[in-house]
This record gives sequence, structure tokens and C-alpha cells, in this order.
Amino acid sequence: MAFKIDSVVAEPVATLTLVGELDSLSARVFQTEIEKLTTRSITTLVLDMEKLDFMSSAGLRVLIFSKQKIGVGLNIFIVKPQELIIDTLEKTGLHHSVTIVDQYPV
Amino acid sequence: MGMETRSFPGNVDSLDPLRDCIGELAQEAGLSKKSTYNLKVAIDEIATNIILYGYESEKIEGTYRLLSEITENELIVILEDDAKPFNPLENELPDELDLSVPLEEREIGGLGIFLTINGVDDFSYDFSTGKNRNKFIMKKA
Repeated sequence: MAFKIDSVVAEPVATLTLVGELDSLSARVFQTEIEKLTTRSITTLVLDMEKLDFMSSAGLRVLIFSKQKIGVGLNIFIVKPQELIIDTLEKTGLHHSVTIVDQYPV
Repeated sequence: MGMETRSFPGNVDSLDPLRDCIGELAQEAGLSKKSTYNLKVAIDEIATNIILYGYESEKIEGTYRLLSEITENELIVILEDDAKPFNPLENELPDELDLSVPLEEREIGGLGIFLTINGVDDFSYDFSTGKNRNKFIMKKA
């Protein structure tokens, strides 16, 4: 399924809605959106994953990239990820560095 | 008993149709939703390596093949390519300590292979007659 990303920035919060499948092709689009945020004053990154059906390690790498590029103090909230995506976050230990929530603001 | 073969162009646009194929095979084999997803991730990760490091970075236009066979107890899938030999199992895997490191201090390599090995019942690699073969086995439920 095609990947779509929608970005809404209201400093200091950036909300990205990810829809479809995040693989090494679509991760390039995701990374470009993250790069755009590096010039803004962002302290909170909200990733709405309710309609994200697939995520490979390419997506995980963009999460890592986000924290490394936007700033170590960046808070990442992942909204309503599907169960199998939570599995991936847990297996790779990334769930320690993000906050999984049902909605944002929490 | 022959294997079914499908061919894909060695670029990242092929990943989406490749995953669709895996979805169909998994359904035919009667795999669970979770096993299907894990196999899709594993295949996607290895195909990505073939495409990015076997073909694109070497500026080679090539194809890779998906071979499949459903037996009584298993779904067997092989990714075969003609790029330079690359054994994913020789990559250093992240250990528990690496996986507990906070995001900002993470090295970004190794996660794909980790998810591959972690997600399938068996993964093996061999190189012969100029072809890399990555083999994935999923046991039927």
C-alpha cells in the first residue's frame, strides 16, 4: 500500500501522521519531513501511527535519526501504533526511548 | 515438486509488490497474522540489503528472484540474487546491551538482520554458482 505522510508544525510540537507501509523507499520521505523540522524549535514529536500497517528497520532508523538530528531532549510520542509495530519497537528496545500513547495531548 | 519463481527489479520500488507476494503465499500456507507480518519484515529487510548494497551502490541494474514452496508443514521462501557475495549472518548482531542503549546513542546498523533472524523459524544463507541465496522457513501453525 502506498505511503502517505502529513505534517503539522505548531512549535514546539510537530505532529506527523503516517499512513500505509513504511519501508526503505517510504522511509526516505519520512526522513525528509524530519529534516525539515531541524530548522524549527521542536521539543515534541508526535507520530500518529494508527493507520500505519508496516514498519521495517528503515523506519526505526528514522526514529533514531530524529533524536540525533532534532535533539537529544526531543520527546517522541507514538500514537496508537498497531500491535505488530509495538512488537517491533519492543524487540529492538526502542520503546524505552519513545512514549506510546492512545492520544496526544495525553 | 518445483518451486514457484517470481522476478523483481533490483530497486526499492519492488519492495511493496514483494511484500504483497509474501502476503499471498502466507495466506495460501495458512500462516497467522503475526507470522505473516514477521515474514514480511524479514523478506523486506534482506531484499533491501540486496537492492541497496548488492545493486544500487554498485550501480548495477539487476533483478532478484523470489522462490517459494509450500510443504505439508512449512512455507519455504528463498531470495536469490546475482550481486556480490553477502552473508547477512556475518554481520555483527546487536546484543541485549546494544538494544538497551538509548535512541540518541544508537548505532543504526544491524537492526534489520536482527529483526529477520528474530522473526522467522529458520534463516540460512549460501552462495554458489554466482548466486546469493537467503532462505526463510516459517512453520505452519
